[in-house]
Amino acid sequence: MRKILKARGLIMMAAAAAVLSLGSCNKNIPDPVPNTFPTQTGTSIGDVVNTNPNFTFLRAAVVRAGLLPALSDNSRTYTVFAPDNAAFIASGITSEAAINALPVTSLVPLLQYHVVPQKVMSTQIPATFPNLQYPSLLNPAPTISALLRLTTFPSTRNGAWVNNIPIKAVNTEASNGVIHTVAGVVSPPSRFIWDRINTDPNLTYLRAAILRADSGFAATSTSNLVGALGNIGANLTVFAPRDAEFRATLVALITQVLVRQGVPLATAQAQATALAATPAVFSNPALFGALPAQTVRGVVVYHVFSNRAFTNNFPTTATNYPTLINGAIPTHPGLGLTATFAAPNPFAATATVKGLVNATAANIFINNAPEPNGTSDQHYLNGVLHVINQVLLPQPL
Amino acid sequence: MKRLATIALICSFLMPSIAWAQGQVITGSVRNSLSKESVSAVSVSIKGTTAGTFSDDKGNFRIAVPSGAKFPLTLVFTSIGFGFKEVQVNGPGEVAAVDLLATSSLGEEVVVSATRLPTRIIESPVSIERVSAAQIRNSPAANYYDIVTNLKGVDMVAASLTFRSVTTRGFAGSGNTRFNQIVDGMDNQAPGLNFSVGSIVGLSELDVESMELLQGASSALYGPGGMNGTLLVNSKNPFKYQGLSFQVKTGVMHTDRRFRDVGGYHNWSLRYAKKIGERFAFKINTELIQAKDWLAADYRNVNRNNRITDNLINGTRSTDPNYDGVNVYGDETTIDLRQVLGIIGSQAPFLGGFINTLNGSPINVSRTGYTEREILDPNTLNYKITGAMHYKLTDNLEAVFAGFWGTGNTVYTGSDRYGLKDLKMGQYKLELNHKNWFIRGYTTQENSGQSYNATIAARLFNEGWKSSPVWYGEYGQAFLGAKLGGMSDIDAHNAARNVADAGRPKPGSPQFQRIFDSVRLRPISQGGGLFIDRTDLYAAEGQYNLSHLTGEFAEILVGGNFRRFVLNSQGTLFADSTGPIGINEYGGYIQVSKPLFNDRIRLTVSGRYDKNQNFKGRFTPRATMLVKLAENHNLRLSYQQAYRFPTTQNQFINLAVGGATLIGGVPAMLDYYKFSTNPVYSLNDLLAPNPSIKVQQFGEFKPESVTSYEIGYRGVSSNKKFMFDAYGYYGNYRDFITSVNVVQSIMPNPQPTDILNASRRRILQVPINSPTEVKTLGAGASVEYNMRNGYFVNVNASYDELGEVPAGFITNFNAPNFRANASFGNTGFGPSKRVGFNLSYRWQDAFFYTTTLANGTVPAYHNLDAQVSYRFPKIRSIARIGGTNILNQYYITAIANPSIGGLYYVAFAYNIY
Repeated sequence: MRKILKARGLIMMAAAAAVLSLGSCNKNIPDPVPNTFPTQTGTSIGDVVNTNPNFTFLRAAVVRAGLLPALSDNSRTYTVFAPDNAAFIASGITSEAAINALPVTSLVPLLQYHVVPQKVMSTQIPATFPNLQYPSLLNPAPTISALLRLTTFPSTRNGAWVNNIPIKAVNTEASNGVIHTVAGVVSPPSRFIWDRINTDPNLTYLRAAILRADSGFAATSTSNLVGALGNIGANLTVFAPRDAEFRATLVALITQVLVRQGVPLATAQAQATALAATPAVFSNPALFGALPAQTVRGVVVYHVFSNRAFTNNFPTTATNYPTLINGAIPTHPGLGLTATFAAPNPFAATATVKGLVNATAANIFINNAPEPNGTSDQHYLNGVLHVINQVLLPQPL
Repeated sequence: MKRLATIALICSFLMPSIAWAQGQVITGSVRNSLSKESVSAVSVSIKGTTAGTFSDDKGNFRIAVPSGAKFPLTLVFTSIGFGFKEVQVNGPGEVAAVDLLATSSLGEEVVVSATRLPTRIIESPVSIERVSAAQIRNSPAANYYDIVTNLKGVDMVAASLTFRSVTTRGFAGSGNTRFNQIVDGMDNQAPGLNFSVGSIVGLSELDVESMELLQGASSALYGPGGMNGTLLVNSKNPFKYQGLSFQVKTGVMHTDRRFRDVGGYHNWSLRYAKKIGERFAFKINTELIQAKDWLAADYRNVNRNNRITDNLINGTRSTDPNYDGVNVYGDETTIDLRQVLGIIGSQAPFLGGFINTLNGSPINVSRTGYTEREILDPNTLNYKITGAMHYKLTDNLEAVFAGFWGTGNTVYTGSDRYGLKDLKMGQYKLELNHKNWFIRGYTTQENSGQSYNATIAARLFNEGWKSSPVWYGEYGQAFLGAKLGGMSDIDAHNAARNVADAGRPKPGSPQFQRIFDSVRLRPISQGGGLFIDRTDLYAAEGQYNLSHLTGEFAEILVGGNFRRFVLNSQGTLFADSTGPIGINEYGGYIQVSKPLFNDRIRLTVSGRYDKNQNFKGRFTPRATMLVKLAENHNLRLSYQQAYRFPTTQNQFINLAVGGATLIGGVPAMLDYYKFSTNPVYSLNDLLAPNPSIKVQQFGEFKPESVTSYEIGYRGVSSNKKFMFDAYGYYGNYRDFITSVNVVQSIMPNPQPTDILNASRRRILQVPINSPTEVKTLGAGASVEYNMRNGYFVNVNASYDELGEVPAGFITNFNAPNFRANASFGNTGFGPSKRVGFNLSYRWQDAFFYTTTLANGTVPAYHNLDAQVSYRFPKIRSIARIGGTNILNQYYITAIANPSIGGLYYVAFAYNIY
């Protein structure tokens, strides 16, 4: 009996062990734990645009362009340079009806250019020169590359700006980004700098000088200036001397050469005036000695920055910046820029650029109207052009 | 195989075809006095003569009467588990059936390995465990190897169904090199791959007579290795165990379909042994195992830069662009996407600023990997065939020629997960056994077949379907495009991955197979994933027991051995692309054993000297003392030293695995990697928060040694129902072989700054001796309780602990502190004692596991195995139903190793004993 009890006890023990092990399960190898990411919730940029009474024009535009869902998408992040109603009016779009009259095909790129696909608070926008480029949503040529983007050039120097448009109110934060309210519509460029130079009746000498400077460089060469001025990948600022001043400079230069050759001054002046009467002066073989291509090239590239300089971002005390000539002469001091401001007008009242050899600074003709009439802050796909009243000279000719 | 057949042929010619003189003969049979069933393998001898035999599988014996002997004679019957019996015989011919009384064998079992001399287990001077054929027969384990797991102090790492590696006292792992396994006197560590191949080419279950487990240091007698223990598996001598037996086991796995679909398990084995005449006997064994293997499916994310602490981090493929899953292969390929974005930025300057403002530097991105199932498709197939011929040259001298050959497919975890495909291993042995001496020569022939490294193969596969420059180029473009659309980083990464993964071959598709085969079948040395290992070991050893000459003074044993490794991997595993590397090693030992104080104390002292051509010679002593406290109560004390030469891989490996290249630590290897002119720096230093970067120095590469102190007790209760055993040990490892990760410039003109740039450096993992002494201590205890009615209960528990080591020091201790086993069963009960059962339970604690694949915690687990059997004595058969892990509670034994679930089987066995 005792034995049976013992055996039974053991069986009980074993059963207990079995139950015990049933009860306490083995821990499975843990499943991988997904990383979690903060989800953006709350009032989106789209919601702000949709509800803010100051953005009714913008809302109309965004709705018409079909961009409201994108701006309301909390899985995406944007910075929107949002023109309020006053901005639209200031830019000549005076009613929602006018917006609704715009073709969608032009409205979409216009709006896309106001949107940067990342959150850029005003504090992140540098006040240094040159401006950083922030790609917008606008791809001007998707067939060339999906990564092609037109860029905007915000700056917090001398206020807050995107390109040459003042930012009225910064940092309206939304769940999926931030809104900076701008004082005007930020128009996307559609033409190249070369297109302007090539067609502007007041820049014909500059055009001829550029072509002369390119002699010896094939059109496909990366050193070809016409190529660069017509290349979407470039990022330039061109100070464009007006024909009158260009011509005067050439007359003076040719006179000087002729006098050095022994021609009497009056004759020399007359000959020089005749020779420089048209831009063909640059293609006149007789003058190849007086105007070697290399010299022309040096002068031309001295007028070009490899970044975008809007007058509003010029320093208020003269500061020198390198130009393309620094590629050849790294120590060259470059060009000196200054601007003055007269409150309450946010825009630069005056803007000057001084060449090393020039006695005085050249003035930029302040007129930021669109082409063909505008002469300052002319924005193109690959840069900015300012018309100036001197030929800038990097070194004595 | 061919070799085996050739030698068999030669032997059959040499076989003397003498007909043995037909003198007088006594025949008879032996039975169990209770069940009246026949008993096989009972030793039958004629008292006062050297004549002896064993009962065959039907219990019959036939013994020739030596010419000098005169009737009446006395036959002596002995067998473990039965009482000793003498029967007087008055004349030749048949005697009446002899009934033997079953008795408790607790403490009576004879072990050989403790002192290399037959000793009752209770009198063993060092800790030892024994598994008998009867225990194997009654165990619920699917494979006899698994039974060892239930012994005290044992840890088991299961790299797959058939790839189970056991060890004691810590430092577990599939490629565990501190634990020796010796099968019929042959070291069965694969000489090139460095894992023990016991469960692949070892004995088949039906041929195992016993297993002896020596816990703790044991190299004083068994040579290099065996620092933590030695497992000796002995096969059945065909003179003693004859007849035909077979077993068919069929089962089912993955019943819950959690990791894979339900799959079958088949294990068929057959043994045939026959004595021909009085002098010659042979046996042949074959076993086939086939199963849909367990799946390693740990998809946690690994931070490869951390090789020391827990490096399992959050993140999945869709939430970490640099995800590197534990059992996902190919995702070890990673680059800083900024390299690609930088190129795009230089081509599209208007994006340069945007690229600079993107989050993260570096932006690490890994390629999309494939899971273990897709890369390794773990289906186990194991076929082994072993055979032996025994010839008695004289009554005291037996010659043995034996061959063991196995082949199969399985998965192994070493420095990586390896798909072992068509692996072939052969071991061939020629041996002369005398009462007082033996001499044996054997060879291990390794052929890795079409085995491949999962990580290497998967990474190359990825390069094969889309090269990384192309893939990352597409990824970078798409990522940038998505970011330019305002997407979040992770969305952009996932979108980019979708684009770059376009055309990614679907696992199992013909395209996948074609590319994978081209990678897998191309040698590592030629940019593929195939390792070609044809490494061989040639060994000779002998031993002489001088006791018959010196018995008056002491028992003295001397022995020696020689080994030659021939590393041959054709540059796919070792730095042997210019030709095989030979390594010679030899050693000798002496053991003196003397009873003192009226045999109350037995003192044994042994010493051993070994020399490896690449290392300085080494002397290792051992001293043991057995104190007889009382009859059947013995206290044992031992001091032992053990050591191991660095493994062949420690010496000469040269293999790139995920994120690092493993290289050997001998001077030739350091020279090969130009450490003197292109210095290497510690990776740990480099990754420290405030790096102070120093050149890593390498001293002499030395064998590792352990000094072990142990105390133990074994006792059997006076009623022979209880056996107690307990031990405690303390081990101190010196020149511990560990590894150090170093970084080295890969630039043609190395600069110290190169190591700061991931694309200009490589990580090398080099084995070194640690200046730190590593200490382990532990204890274990067991109780075996045998009841008269056939019930038995065994319980054991053990503890192992690693002493303090400095932070950042990788020991790969890889063992739980606590583990416990309990089993309960009966070998025969019910009306006619035909029903048997066995429940076997194991629990082990959670522990931290470090491997080159990942470091993390192995959770605690329970495991319950059970079987119920029913005997059919008339047809000498047994039917069984059973299972391992019958509660189907998945567990892992090591990080990166498969989840083991329930396996349920039915078995039918004929004539097993």
